[in-house]
Amino acid sequence: MLDRRMTQFNILRGAVAIFFALLVAAIFIFLTSESPWESLRYLLIGPLVIVKDGAIAFNTRNMLEVLAGMTPTIFTGLAVCVMFSANQFNLAGEGCVYVGAFVGGLIGVYWNLPPFIHPLVATLIAGIVCSVIMLIPALAKVKLGASEMVTSLMLNYVMLYVSMHFLNFYFADRSRGATMTHSFQDTARVTQIVSGTSKLSWGFIAALIFSVIVWFFMYRTRWGYSIRMIGINQSFALYSGMNVAGMIIVSQMIGGMLSGMGGSFEILGRYNQFLWLNLPGYGWTGITIAILAKNNPAAVPLAAFFLAYLNKGCMLMSTKTHVASEMIDIIQAAIFLFFAAEQFLSGYRQKIVVKTAREELLMQGNADIENGGAENA
Amino acid sequence: MSDTPVVQMLGISKIYPNGIPANQDVNFSVNKGEIHALVGENGAGKSTLMKILFGFEKPTSGTILIDGEEVTFASPMAAIAKGIGMVHQHFMLVPSLTVAENVVLGMAPKKSGMFIDFKEAVRLTEEYAERFHFDVEPNARVADISVGMKQKVEILKALVRGAKVLILDEPTAVLTTQETVELFRQLHELKNQGFTIIFISHKLNEIKELTDRVTIMRRGKAAGTYDTDAVSEQEISRLMVGRDVVLEIEKTPAEPEEVVLRVENLHFVNEWNKRMLNGISFDVRKGEIVGIAGVEGNGQRELVDILFGLISPEKGSVQVNGVNIADKSQRELRNMGVSYVPEDRMTFGIAGTASINENIVSDRIASPAFNKGPLLNMRAIRETSQHLIEDYAILCKSGRQHVNMLSGGNIQKVVVAREFSADPLLIIADQPTRGIDVGATELIRNKLIDLSREGAAVLLVSADLNEVMELSDSLIVLYGGNIVGYFDDGQWDDVMMGEYMLGLKKQSDEEVKRACHA
Repeated sequence: MLDRRMTQFNILRGAVAIFFALLVAAIFIFLTSESPWESLRYLLIGPLVIVKDGAIAFNTRNMLEVLAGMTPTIFTGLAVCVMFSANQFNLAGEGCVYVGAFVGGLIGVYWNLPPFIHPLVATLIAGIVCSVIMLIPALAKVKLGASEMVTSLMLNYVMLYVSMHFLNFYFADRSRGATMTHSFQDTARVTQIVSGTSKLSWGFIAALIFSVIVWFFMYRTRWGYSIRMIGINQSFALYSGMNVAGMIIVSQMIGGMLSGMGGSFEILGRYNQFLWLNLPGYGWTGITIAILAKNNPAAVPLAAFFLAYLNKGCMLMSTKTHVASEMIDIIQAAIFLFFAAEQFLSGYRQKIVVKTAREELLMQGNADIENGGAENA
Repeated sequence: MSDTPVVQMLGISKIYPNGIPANQDVNFSVNKGEIHALVGENGAGKSTLMKILFGFEKPTSGTILIDGEEVTFASPMAAIAKGIGMVHQHFMLVPSLTVAENVVLGMAPKKSGMFIDFKEAVRLTEEYAERFHFDVEPNARVADISVGMKQKVEILKALVRGAKVLILDEPTAVLTTQETVELFRQLHELKNQGFTIIFISHKLNEIKELTDRVTIMRRGKAAGTYDTDAVSEQEISRLMVGRDVVLEIEKTPAEPEEVVLRVENLHFVNEWNKRMLNGISFDVRKGEIVGIAGVEGNGQRELVDILFGLISPEKGSVQVNGVNIADKSQRELRNMGVSYVPEDRMTFGIAGTASINENIVSDRIASPAFNKGPLLNMRAIRETSQHLIEDYAILCKSGRQHVNMLSGGNIQKVVVAREFSADPLLIIADQPTRGIDVGATELIRNKLIDLSREGAAVLLVSADLNEVMELSDSLIVLYGGNIVGYFDDGQWDDVMMGEYMLGLKKQSDEEVKRACHA
């Protein structure tokens, strides 16, 4: 009974946290917007419906864009889930998305493979490259005791600038005005599910499939089990005879792999060339998603949807009503804060606990003829 | 006896954030000038009740009266101000400071309002030590004094702060027999001077010896208060667990076979350059229980850590079935048939927020029995766990329950169930029953004997002298990193053990060498 109530409580807590975060956002919107109510409308329901001449219609195009926006963040969210489950605060997912997109993009430009196979091979290799890169913070942690948080954070910029160097000096299409690669071959594009401008590709389906795979990996295989036990209590894992160092490395390599694949699917599904000149931010969003999902891969698509929706709402709000698009960062930060705050609503939690315990005692008391249910009636 | 009780706790209930109802409508009352025992199994709610009295925890409901006056304690400071003092099981002392500095910590006398007056601190300590006949050295560093002495410092600390009611949480758990006698003498002295003492303990003989009245707790409720003279140990124990517990353990004589564990000339120096092991050698044979007795801190911790590969010895070797274990990982050791019940069960024994099922198979998760291709065989895991939960009488709602929702005794049963069911050749049991209830203790001790008689080699390390004396087929006493005694005749008692444990007696090298069966 307590378990069920705790689940209900956690859902409620999440909802209240989101509500407060939106409230914080609303304060800023009212401070900055000339037409705050309209801004709020775009933020909250803009992605879902179109209001035109008083009539309300479902906004299919925007919703498809929201789904398309989830593809890379589901991958990074899953990556962070795996790494955080092992208590590895590796933040290099961001750089891996960039390198993954770069490597995937290059294979899309230069290799000749049949359609369908081509983007899969590109994405797979992008993932492998990124998982090898993740060996740097992982090995530094295991062999030298260097904090993976620090090394991975710095590694993001190393990955960015090393890739930029290769882009600038070896792979740039000189016929263009801006720095970008040549166009991907047609065979390399990830096929669109719905043709049109939404760019919703089969990468989205791949992301959903991977959510299931990663869930099975974490909860139904001995490796996932070891990763979780290491995350809960590393001394215990070591004492139980698990290969702690090995699994710490593996968890980060999986994180790199997933992030890199997300980057590759994103670039081959939504772009014609590789043209990112800065970190795309999907890795950071992945951290928020993993926290919202409480490191549970099954909940990642939901959390990713929520953030993609907010993102789209913010974009609509900023283009239609001139509110800064950075509002999304404020909302994310506020959600982060309320979710991370353990004591948030703890008083209410305690009341539930007390109530449940009392009820259980009463039930026991009634069942127990000897004691006659005298206590706590 | 018409006086108002000095402490009255009425209708106290406490429900912890994890949903455990630790106290349910408990009434507890202590008269002035008595020594009042509070007994109960682990998880019965003694500690919680005392934490509430000392202001550590707030009760969910209920009232506390001190000298008939209702009080609410927001913090231990408030409780101290009302004359409540508590001596914790784990001492709250700063090792690098002197005795006097510890005594006045947080209330140090000042010179010109700014500087600590160390002379005054020493004087104050001496004054109190003299008044209560406590023989402590105010200028000694706490790091250098014995456990018994530390306890005296803790009691002094409480007295200097004006405590009229002293709560002692399992004070004898860490003491030798001689130190316990000394403590009891001092507690009587305090009682004669009008102090009130609440004495928390598992040890029924001590309660009989020391206390005037006893309150028994069972499953969060008070099961009654009695004059100690009017109840027997058996009665107390029955009230505690709700059934008769056979405290005497029955075991058949050991028939030791070949050597399983061979420890040769083991040396270890710790990080503070203190020599913890000084060349110890012994064997443990198949089918016998070898006990290691000794006051804590005489090398047991280091010995066990070396045996399970957690630290490396400076010199010497350890062999399991003839194989040197140097550089072996814990996984390799487990594959060699070594099981280990760790002293610190919360750190090494369990993953608290994982389920019982997940905890109980942690050492064999990679075994073919629990895997179908790449996937875990969840049904096999569930069934194994269910079987062990029943076999070890682990009190839980289901195997899916988080381990940290269980009481201390049941957590230890989870650990022991895993370690004992691993089909071990060698079991290293480090304080296997520390701080757990009588029922769980009995179960674990009997399982240990069964396993040894079925052919496991058992090394038992315990600070509970009764436990090592009752379970062991032969006994090793460690003192200052040396083996000072080896006994294999079963002819031992606590007084004799105490003399060896305190270093008053020592066997000759020849006698000690009998621990090796080469």
